[in-house]
Amino acid sequence: MGSPLVTIEMMTGLSPAAIAALTGAALPDAAAHARATALLREWLTPEQLRQFDADGCFEVVGCDSGLRYRLKHGRVDALDREGATIFSLCFHPGGQFASGDVMLAQKIALESDENATLAVTNFIPRRRFGG
Amino acid sequence: MRTQIVMDHTGDSRHTFDEADQAAVAEAEKRFLELTGAGFTAAQRTGSGESTIVRSFDPTAEEVLFVPRLVGG
Repeated sequence: MGSPLVTIEMMTGLSPAAIAALTGAALPDAAAHARATALLREWLTPEQLRQFDADGCFEVVGCDSGLRYRLKHGRVDALDREGATIFSLCFHPGGQFASGDVMLAQKIALESDENATLAVTNFIPRRRFGG
Repeated sequence: MRTQIVMDHTGDSRHTFDEADQAAVAEAEKRFLELTGAGFTAAQRTGSGESTIVRSFDPTAEEVLFVPRLVGG
């Protein structure tokens, strides 16, 4: 779940530089993460920016379904009226991208082209997260 | 000046062009077609945090963001 970079870092504890040295892949560094976060902030609504600054996550509304989704570090949760997770989605831009870019891509996808996005995503039922 | 922003592993790469420069506009359109043909989605901010998908090249668009093709995780 989330971007490959986040997953590899979490699973191995290796730094992006170490992973890049091992794999030869070009991975986002700290400057890339900062740049991506700055770009994301430019594209958020005032309310989304407030949420992001407060909790590191923000909500979007699907353009086709009207569902609320919470985006946090690559994780996408569909929410009910009380804010509880109904199910989660797993999709991201293909390749190695900083978390800010991943979240921005997910935001644009759900707000502008939700049905097409759902066609490529993997669905994760709520029970996997303990409710 | 108009800007095309392409997401990549550095965060993003930016290409600016003068809409009054025909050669620069042609290059920008070529870049638009190449990226969208490769699966990138072009998006434009329309208001305060709102965005729309850009389906065709518009030399007057102030800023267009190119997002890589999405895949299931």
